[in-house]
Amino acid sequence: MEAKGLFNVARKEFIDHLTSRKFLIILALFLVISAISMHQGIDNYNDRLERYKEQISQITGEEGIEPGYMPEKPSILLIFQMMSFQMSLLGAILAIVMGFDLITREKESRSLKSLLSHPIFRDEIINGKALGGILALVFAIGIALIISFAMLLLFSIVPDLNELWRIALFGVISVLCLLTYFSIALMTSTVSENSGMSIIYALIIFLTISLFLPMVGGMVAEIVVGEPPESPTYRIPPPPPTPNANENEQGEVIKPVKIEIPMDEEEWQRYEEESRAYWEKRSAIDGAIFTLVPTTNYLAVSSAVLSKNGGGLMFFGPGYRSETEGQDMLERIWKNILALIIFPLVFFAIAYIKFMRMDIR
Amino acid sequence: MLFQRKYVLALRRALYKYRYRKRSKGGEQEGEEMIKTENLTKEYNGNKAVDGLNLEIAEGDIFGFLGPNGAGKSTTILMLVGMIEPTEGKCIINEIEVARNPLKVKAIIGYLPEDVGFYGNMTAEQNLDYFARFYAMDANERKKRIEELLELVQLDGVSQKVGGYSRGMNQRLGLAQALLNDPKVLFLDEPTANLDPEGVFQYREQIKQLSDEGKTIFISSHILAEVSKVCNTIGIISKGTLIARGTLEELKNEFGRVGTENLRIIVETIEPLPEIEHEDIISAEYSEAKRKVVIESKSDLRDYISSELFEKGVKVKEMRMEEPTLEDVFLSVYRR
Repeated sequence: MEAKGLFNVARKEFIDHLTSRKFLIILALFLVISAISMHQGIDNYNDRLERYKEQISQITGEEGIEPGYMPEKPSILLIFQMMSFQMSLLGAILAIVMGFDLITREKESRSLKSLLSHPIFRDEIINGKALGGILALVFAIGIALIISFAMLLLFSIVPDLNELWRIALFGVISVLCLLTYFSIALMTSTVSENSGMSIIYALIIFLTISLFLPMVGGMVAEIVVGEPPESPTYRIPPPPPTPNANENEQGEVIKPVKIEIPMDEEEWQRYEEESRAYWEKRSAIDGAIFTLVPTTNYLAVSSAVLSKNGGGLMFFGPGYRSETEGQDMLERIWKNILALIIFPLVFFAIAYIKFMRMDIR
Repeated sequence: MLFQRKYVLALRRALYKYRYRKRSKGGEQEGEEMIKTENLTKEYNGNKAVDGLNLEIAEGDIFGFLGPNGAGKSTTILMLVGMIEPTEGKCIINEIEVARNPLKVKAIIGYLPEDVGFYGNMTAEQNLDYFARFYAMDANERKKRIEELLELVQLDGVSQKVGGYSRGMNQRLGLAQALLNDPKVLFLDEPTANLDPEGVFQYREQIKQLSDEGKTIFISSHILAEVSKVCNTIGIISKGTLIARGTLEELKNEFGRVGTENLRIIVETIEPLPEIEHEDIISAEYSEAKRKVVIESKSDLRDYISSELFEKGVKVKEMRMEEPTLEDVFLSVYRR
């Protein structure tokens, strides 16, 4: 593969994206909404900071700091957590708009034949288109982050080095998420006859993996693993053997009290084990299904990256818990990271193979 | 620089004429082969679009590739320009096998596709610059070449984006993009399909100029008049197979009278015509008060008729034998 042709195509595609009206409109919308959510995030952060200062001033009196409770200073990364929600929706739309007609438009305008008549391999074309798209996505995310950073400075909020690193990492993860949708659109553009069909296919896939999969995930898990195990039967102990069961010595009426005692300790233990195994299995299936949802993966990873201690996770798929330590973070989200990397590769591979075998007539 | 270019062109013309003379002296139809196909076959879903095509085109030829729609013309061109791979056989251009070295071949050929398309959001100059970047040309070379080509196809000074071009303008830009790399071999697929009469005239002039530069030109068309005007050799393809090949004269001689072995001689005179009798005459139709006759005969009787009329003192206004047109040849070959 010659790099010259690849870079020439990528350069043209990048310029095309940046000068395309639809790209600019959606990017503008994306930036405006991101800026609004940043503004809300900054307000929220300032409120928390005020509360934190109040708490500190209450705790620290003339006697100095009291031992025990110490409030935690809010992190500016919280501001970016709000942004990640916008990114997962509007960013996905932007990526789909960028990719859905990359190949179909060339077929429709018959420019593909003109292009292929010059000394360039087919793989340079598809790779160049992908590279141009990636650069445009990096540009879009970069602009969004620069605006966010500028807003932080405007409000006199200066991130430290660790926070800057995490913001940069958040940018990389955002690009990976958008790349998934871009590669889906590129694939539909390669397999479709025209741009109309391509956008329809891209939206069907987008809705399927964003809405349908999370909806049916729980149902599928229940179908696969079945009903949860039933708890062991309980027995009610017999009433005490008194001459008059309903009266005590003082003649007060005694109501029988039901005391539930497991029938068998072994049976109870067995139930606990079965129940644990059942929920673990169900959780694994749920987790596997949710790993197919790019938004879930993105929110899981970005939430982990943007939490101050690196572990304050807020996941949306079942089987996850909040507040884990930093070292557990990678163990917990490696599947999500892997999925964010693998999905674009899979869709791009399909687009690549289809394009290489495309009949040019 | 201009002097250098003219000098190079003159050298090329001289070389071409020398080669052409060499071919003629040798009595061969072809000299150095520039385009060659060997048993070229392309199948789509079990149907053969091109079936064992063997073709040889000499350097400097303007080859007209004729055939009805669906005969396999465009498929053949796509294989020749390395855009699709043959199912069987091979294409060789300038001694380079296309399927093995498509990029090497593309570097020395130019291709104008049928209904050529461009990027509508870019100007002609930007489109050409994008394509020119695939060749070993620096920015100055690209700029100079693009200016020359836009002038050649009369699109210089057009600043609008290509999306607003007429089909004719698109076609002219198509020729410019095919000439970007100053190719040795030029493939033109239905080049006059979208051109107006003025555009067709200019196209013929451009082809003549390119031929003078020694380029080998392969023109696929079903517009027979165009082919007969610009091509010096012709091939006729039907159902993926080459069914006739030669110069226009050779084809006329070979196929011009297929089905009707007779000749038609038309004579117009100033005085009324006498009865003309000859054993080869099959029929004679007189008209215009016997001042015109259309004679159908088994042989060329023009000498005999001329002598007869001279002896009888009849002055001849016009006498001609009706030549078969390329259309006659094509239909004759195609209907066989």
